[in-house]
Amino acid sequence: MSESEQTVIEVKDLVKRFGDLTVLDGINVTIPRGKITVIMGGSGCGKTTLLRHLIALHQPTSGDIFVDGKNIVGLSEKDMNDVRRKFGMLFQGSALFNSMTVGENVAVPLKEHTELSPEIIRIIVRVKLELVGLTGFEDFMPYQISGGMKKRVALARAIALDPKIVFYDEPGAGLDPITASMIDRLILDLSKKLNITSVVVSHEMKSAFRIADEIIILHKGKVLQVGTADEVKNSKDSYVQQFIHGESEGVIPFKQTSEAYLKGLLST
Amino acid sequence: MKELAGSIGQSLLFVLAGVARLWELGAAVASYTFLSFFKKKVIPRETLFHQMVLIGIDSTAIVSLVGASVGTVLALQAAYSLKTFGALMYTGSLVCVAMARELGPLIASIVISGRIGARMAAEIGTMMVQEEVDALTTMGINPIRYLVVPRVLALALMLPCLTVIVDVMGMLGGWAIGVTGLGINSTLYIAKSVDALCLKDIYTGLLKSFIFSILIALVSCHQGLSVSGGADAVGKATTQAVVISIVLIIVVDCLATAVIYYALPT
Repeated sequence: MSESEQTVIEVKDLVKRFGDLTVLDGINVTIPRGKITVIMGGSGCGKTTLLRHLIALHQPTSGDIFVDGKNIVGLSEKDMNDVRRKFGMLFQGSALFNSMTVGENVAVPLKEHTELSPEIIRIIVRVKLELVGLTGFEDFMPYQISGGMKKRVALARAIALDPKIVFYDEPGAGLDPITASMIDRLILDLSKKLNITSVVVSHEMKSAFRIADEIIILHKGKVLQVGTADEVKNSKDSYVQQFIHGESEGVIPFKQTSEAYLKGLLST
Repeated sequence: MKELAGSIGQSLLFVLAGVARLWELGAAVASYTFLSFFKKKVIPRETLFHQMVLIGIDSTAIVSLVGASVGTVLALQAAYSLKTFGALMYTGSLVCVAMARELGPLIASIVISGRIGARMAAEIGTMMVQEEVDALTTMGINPIRYLVVPRVLALALMLPCLTVIVDVMGMLGGWAIGVTGLGINSTLYIAKSVDALCLKDIYTGLLKSFIFSILIALVSCHQGLSVSGGADAVGKATTQAVVISIVLIIVVDCLATAVIYYALPT
């Protein structure tokens, strides 16, 4: 494969400002095809904002994003919807439609984007639910199932149209460790079985090391490090080390010195 | 003085911006509706019918009750004044004309903006908060087409029907009071009513209710779609949806009445 074929998404000099606040400050990353890329960083480092740019829910202040070599910045809604056909997205809170059953939720993209008959759609829905281990749950309502199951239904919905790329926003958030690791297994499984490119936004180190082919660490709107799990583990960067080991004291101070504290209090 | 002018200008701009956003939403809804005549699957039918049942059938009882009460009250109050002129038998004409022209559409719209408008704003607002609208967008499904269009159309179809129910129930309420409480002869009451009522009274009333239905649906959906944040924002949007709808209904009603009965040739 040539280099351009190995890259699915390329982000160039991406800058995003909300008013005076610069959330993304010149991001350059490439997402390799068929691999699992994990975007990591502390809360508020801009990782979710970056993800929302990749699926064009936000428009950047400046910079370009190429999906399969096509710039998606400033694309018309119709053209963007064609690009979105390649995407599946798992939202942090699952984002299932609460007024519909599990089966209807998975069927939404199929009904909207294909001309398939209801019988065929029912079969596809069953197959997708089986892929995430939820056979027989078609007629449940979202509020009747657990958080982990909701995530899996949302995943089934995300892969309903056989996307090439699936985005995951904090897949393990709000789940117990066992369920979270089950979701991780599912991500690994799907990307192998269906040859899907996965982009995972997460702040959980354990999960990231388990699934990642490549890890991108963001800090204060900039890319701090890109590399495999081992490269990140052995990084010399002190912030990366602090982050990996989850220490409250480090380059980012938790406590201030008493003078600095006093100064801060009196400055306003 | 300068500050006053500034604040007036600011509120004016605020109102204009709101009108522009509503107009934009309305234009999008109109173009999708137009498109649906030529293309399949533009309007999600299940949602449309579901909303029609919710708005039409499920509101029939409350709308009937309110309509009948208004008709009754109107007859009682009208009789009080009419009696002094010895014109008690005209109670029927007054009730019927007032219901058909003004009170039917107005009462139906206000009840529905509280019942359905609030519901639409809260529902779409919650969907915004829970990223369901973002999920639609990432699936390549336009939220306006998928959520707003069926709601606007359902309300535009059902509100005139509900208005007819309010009209009829109001007239029945007036008749009941006229015959039992005021002692007017039933045949006379009905004959006077039919004499007074003309077709224009009815269709202008229905036209008004159609305009109000579009206003309620657009305002409520727009409020829902502009929610960002949490439960607090949903609550605010819901209140705003009802308040803005009712204010707009009454203002537009004034304008429509002026145009229909005074500006246009009869």
